[in-house]
Amino acid sequence: MSLLEVTNLHATVGAQDQQKAILKGLNISVNPGEVHAIMGPNGSGKSTLANVLSGRPGYTVTDGSMILANTNLADMEPHERAQLGLFLAFQYPVEIPGVSNMEFLKASVDSLARARGEEQPNTAAFIKKVRILAASVDLDPQFLKRGVNEGFSGGEKKRNEIMQLLLLEPKLAILDETDSGLDIDALQVVAEGVNRYKNSNNGVVLITHYQRLLDYIIPDFVHVLADGKIIQSGDKSLALELEDKGYAWLT
Amino acid sequence: MADLSLPQAVTLPNYFSQDRLALPAQILNGEDMPSALTAALNSTLHRERWKYSKTAPVLEGLIRTMNLPTIIGGEQAGVQISQAPEQNVRFSFDLSQAPEAFARLCYAQEALFIHIEQTLKSPLEIHHAGSTVPILISLGTNAEATLLEHFAGNLQPQNTLWISLAERSHLKHSRNSLEAAELHWQYLCVDIGKNADYLLNNHAAGAGLRRQDIHIRLSGQGANAELISAAVISGKLALDQQITLEHLVANGKSKQVVHNIVADGGKCTFNGRIHIHEGANGTDATLANKNLGLGKNATINTKPELEIYTDDVTCAHGATIGQLSDQELFYLSSRGISPEAAQALLSEGFLRQCTQGPLAEAALPILINAIKQEHDA
Repeated sequence: MSLLEVTNLHATVGAQDQQKAILKGLNISVNPGEVHAIMGPNGSGKSTLANVLSGRPGYTVTDGSMILANTNLADMEPHERAQLGLFLAFQYPVEIPGVSNMEFLKASVDSLARARGEEQPNTAAFIKKVRILAASVDLDPQFLKRGVNEGFSGGEKKRNEIMQLLLLEPKLAILDETDSGLDIDALQVVAEGVNRYKNSNNGVVLITHYQRLLDYIIPDFVHVLADGKIIQSGDKSLALELEDKGYAWLT
Repeated sequence: MADLSLPQAVTLPNYFSQDRLALPAQILNGEDMPSALTAALNSTLHRERWKYSKTAPVLEGLIRTMNLPTIIGGEQAGVQISQAPEQNVRFSFDLSQAPEAFARLCYAQEALFIHIEQTLKSPLEIHHAGSTVPILISLGTNAEATLLEHFAGNLQPQNTLWISLAERSHLKHSRNSLEAAELHWQYLCVDIGKNADYLLNNHAAGAGLRRQDIHIRLSGQGANAELISAAVISGKLALDQQITLEHLVANGKSKQVVHNIVADGGKCTFNGRIHIHEGANGTDATLANKNLGLGKNATINTKPELEIYTDDVTCAHGATIGQLSDQELFYLSSRGISPEAAQALLSEGFLRQCTQGPLAEAALPILINAIKQEHDA
């Protein structure tokens, strides 16, 4: 049984009187243990897919369905989707001055535990765990005291996203261009983090422009998204072919 | 609009006759005090500063009985408390800025003079309960001190404080004005000497009306002033902050950051004026006032003002009125945090950016609670 089942998804962006159709009948099915890469030209709807799945305000689903772990996402608030096990690594992680990273992470972990009827972690053990995870993605533990992403470099913000992924252990991780703006060392750290996270029970959807990331995180499937639909699916070799020929031959 | 007048005739306190304190410029120039005060009270400048709060109840309160505040740390070495000023201490009294404050000094006749001659080991703490006698604090050359002020009194307390900082002295001033009151008026005037440093951490909650007049003068070269303030004004309460900061001479530096949360029905007025005088070259002045409106019917008036009479200055000011950022809310939600918890985290974060210094720990929970009460109501 699949972890994520997206069927005939249609979605628009924008205020009610000027909605613009972006997703036009998208299908994707992710099974536990699988890594799916989604590639495609600018404006094809890749980030919209990530935003619609995570419930970002401003997007409207007009048709089709999104099922995660047997639960229909459509009627759920963003925080409920996260509690169900959905995680979005942001393309542009948000800076929140005045709220420390540690406080934010604790609020997140506590909320998830409460929603799942689990015990909230003991604070000392929690802090220790977070410090170790931060170090494992090359983030200085000093960052944990600072405001969320405040004054972080682009690479540090992305590594912070991966640290959260490792901490929260979601069922499904959507990485929205996590590789963009990263140098090769940071890219390897990010990829190592994703590989560490992935197991036979969870799934990964990688949204990327570049084949380069897929040298480090090997996808089981590569999909090409164009004009709001998946127009081609294949294995890793499809990514290499795209790198070579571009998208024109498909669209 | 009817002319404003003082409730009683004023006479100068005796300590002025000892020639130790400089009289306000107007009096030195030969104006008689009653007419100078009346003119100042009815000036355009004054009316502008009292645009959103009624002056009359404050003026009536000037002659109300005053008590002595409780002072902790007054016995330590380096502190002298007396009823007359030290020699060679310069306080600045500006009739045009605050005629009511000078009038109060006159009505009180007696005042508390606190001189800090050398660096203090422990903070000096002042606890005000109700209307307290005027206080004049001076720091000697090179002296360093921490001043903590707590305000209480639920009726119509008035508190007036003048501070004079001699060369290279440093004062860290923190004050919490968090208790309920019908009408609380606080006047503070700080004169900062050459290469001296002044830091104010101001924490305030709303009251029937809480009026904070703050006048900071950088009167010595290389003086440095910093004002960091956080306030929460919730349902039907009000805060009116009137801040004037003057750069009188060269190479002064000032930074002001004021964050106010105004929740349902609350009313907040902020008027921050920076005045850079002719000859104050190399001034570096910044002012940021951010207001966060929560719930319904919050009233926020904000006016940052710059008056600059020198070319060679760096100056930045800004005021914003906004609500919680959708992007920040979504980021927190995407990590499983409920909208209510996310709102609380973000508004606390907004406050925390300006809740600093030794009284921050006491202030923060009270301010946070003031937001929460509003949302539970």
